[in-house]
Amino acid sequence: MSPSHAPVSIPYATLTEALAAAPEAQPFVTMWFDDDDECTFSFGEFRQWSNSQAALFSSHGLGKGDTVILIMPQGVALMAAFAGAMLLGAVPAILAYPTFKVEPAKYRFGLKGVSANLNAKLVVVDDSFPLEFLESVSLSDQSKLIRVSAVPPATEDVAAPQFRCHQDDLAFIQHSAGTTGLQKGVALSHGSVLRQLVHLGERLKIQSSDRVYSWLPLYHDMGLIACFVLPMVYHLHVVMQSPTDWVMQPESMLYLISRYKCTLSWVPNFALQFLARRVKPQDRKEYNLSSLRALTNCSEPVRAEGMDAFGTAFSSCGLQPAALQSSYAMAENVFAVTQSDINHGPRRIWIDFSKYQSERIAVIAEPDSDSAICFVSSGKCLPNNEVRIVSEKAESLPDDHVGEILIRSDSMLDGYYNRADLTALSMRDGWYWSGDLGFLLAGELYVTGRKKDLIIVGGKNIYPQDLEEIACGHPAIHDGRAVAFGCYNPDLGTEEIVIVAEMEESAALANSSTIERAVRTAIVEELGVAPRAIYLKPPRWIIKSTAGKPARSATREKLLVEHPELRIS
Amino acid sequence: MADPADELIDYICTQIIRRPGIKLTADTPLVSSGLIDSFSLVDVLSKLEEVTAMRIPASKVQPKDMDTVSLMLTTAERLGKPRK
Repeated sequence: MSPSHAPVSIPYATLTEALAAAPEAQPFVTMWFDDDDECTFSFGEFRQWSNSQAALFSSHGLGKGDTVILIMPQGVALMAAFAGAMLLGAVPAILAYPTFKVEPAKYRFGLKGVSANLNAKLVVVDDSFPLEFLESVSLSDQSKLIRVSAVPPATEDVAAPQFRCHQDDLAFIQHSAGTTGLQKGVALSHGSVLRQLVHLGERLKIQSSDRVYSWLPLYHDMGLIACFVLPMVYHLHVVMQSPTDWVMQPESMLYLISRYKCTLSWVPNFALQFLARRVKPQDRKEYNLSSLRALTNCSEPVRAEGMDAFGTAFSSCGLQPAALQSSYAMAENVFAVTQSDINHGPRRIWIDFSKYQSERIAVIAEPDSDSAICFVSSGKCLPNNEVRIVSEKAESLPDDHVGEILIRSDSMLDGYYNRADLTALSMRDGWYWSGDLGFLLAGELYVTGRKKDLIIVGGKNIYPQDLEEIACGHPAIHDGRAVAFGCYNPDLGTEEIVIVAEMEESAALANSSTIERAVRTAIVEELGVAPRAIYLKPPRWIIKSTAGKPARSATREKLLVEHPELRIS
Repeated sequence: MADPADELIDYICTQIIRRPGIKLTADTPLVSSGLIDSFSLVDVLSKLEEVTAMRIPASKVQPKDMDTVSLMLTTAERLGKPRK
C-alpha cells in the first residue's frame, strides 16, 4: 500500500489539537460557486483565518464556555469563525442562513426561539445579513451582535489563543433536524466528537488520500460532522458548494466529484433519485464517478429505489456498485450510529409483507415472491455503539421484531442545551430514545420510518413512505411529491389513509378520476389496504422543507384546511 | 425578443399562481403579499436565468431580492454572469 493510501489515526484529545497538527500546505477546503468563482484554502491559511476570528471574538469578550451563534452563508468564513470560537474554548452553534427560498415568517419564528434558548454571549452575522431578520435574533442584556467580513483578513500572522481545551469540554452545539417546532440544540464535547470520528473513520477506512465532496448545509449534522469536522480532524481536502447552488444546478455535484476525484460523500435518499431523474442520459457521459469509494445515503430511511435509480443512471460513469453506502445517523450521537460494509455496500433482504404489516416482524421471504418487500440495511453499529429495539411497552424485542430504536454509545450528546426537560424525555438509563422504528437482523439495522408517522389501519402498520412511493409510481404524478398520513375515524375506531399528490402537469387533472383509480388499485394490490381519500393537486401544491423534501405535517395541515371534511369530530 | 419583465410576469401568472384574473405588474409584491410561496422561487429563479440568459449564483440571492419582478431583474443584473 502506498504511503498516501495509508490509513490514518487521530491521536488528539480535542478538535483544536487536531486542527493545530494539520500540515501547513495541505489543501483543506475548496469553496466552489462556479469555475470562475472558487477558492481553496490550505490548513495553514485556514488556521490563520481562525486565529484572526478568535482574536476578534476575544476582543468582544468571548471566552471559555460562552455560547456564540454563527449565522453566515455556507463558506470558509463560517468555518473559520466556528474553529476560531473553539480555539477560545467558546461553544459555537451554526444556525441556518436565510436563503431566498426561506419562508420569512417560519424563519423568524425559528431564529427567535433557537437564539433565545442558546442565550449566546455573541451573535455573529456576515456583513450581508438581511436587516429584516436582525430583529428576530434574541439578544439578552449580556449579548452582543457583530458583523464579520466574508473576506479573509489581510493582516500579518495572528497567534493562536493560548488556551487549552480538554476532552470533556463542550466543543459545539449542533441542532437536530426536527421537522416540527423548534430545533433542539445538541451539546457535544470534544471527546464525544473525536470518539465518533475514530469509529467512523475505522469503518470507512479513511485514508490520507481521501477527498470529500459536499453540498450539505453546515447547520445540519451530516454537513457539519461528515463534511467539515471529519476532514478537519483527518486532514483531508473537502470540496464544498452551497445547498442553494446545488438545488439550482444538481448536476454540479457530479461535475465536482469528477473534477476533483472525490472519494467520500454523503447525501439524503431523495437526492439520489432526484439526480437520476434530473440529469439526462445524454449528459451523463461528461461525468466520471469512478473515484467514489463511499457515497453514503443517510438522514432518511434508505430505500432500494433511490439507490437503484442512481446506480443504474450512473453506472456508465464508472460508479462502483459498492460505492453506494448507507448509514443511520443523528445529531444526538454526533453523527453515525451504523455504517454499511465499505467493501460490499449495504445488505438487502426481502421479507414477508403481510407478517411485517400485521405482526411487526421481519420474516425472510423469497425475493420473487408476491408478498416480498425489499429492505436495505443501514449497516452494523459502529464500535462502542449499541442499538436496542423496544416495544410500545418499553420491553426489549428480539431480532427481527419492529419497534422503537434505542441507542447507546460513547459519543452521545451531553444533553439538549438548556433543555433539561427534553433531555430527560429522550435519555433514559443511558439510552437515547430515537423515535425511529426499525428492526435488527443478523447484526444489521433496518430503519422503517418515524414512530409518529406510522399509520395503523385496523391493526395493520402502514408506513407513509410505502404509500407515497406507490402514488409516485404513476407517470402523471410528480416523482417525490406525494404525502400520506393517517386520519383517525372515531366511527371505525381506527385510522384511515389519506394521500395528497402533485401532478407533473396541471392538464393531467382533467383525468383525475382515472389517475386516482389507478393509484387506489395499486395500493390495494401492494399493501392490502384502501385509502379513504386521494387528492390530486396541481404542481407546487405540496409544501416542501428547506431540504426540498415534502414536509409531511405542514402539507397535512394545508390539506385539512382546504378539505375540512377530513376533520371528523 | 420579448421583454424579460413581461416574460417573467406571464410565467408567474400562468405557471405559478394559476388563478384566473390575476394581474401583476413588475412592482407587485409576490412573496411578502402571499401571492406566491417561497418554495416556488426555485422555479422562478430558473426562469429568471432563462429570460436574462444569465447564470445567477443562488447562494448570493436573498429573500428580498425576489419579491417583485423588478427586483428579480435588478438581482440578475447585479449578480448574474452571462451563460456559457
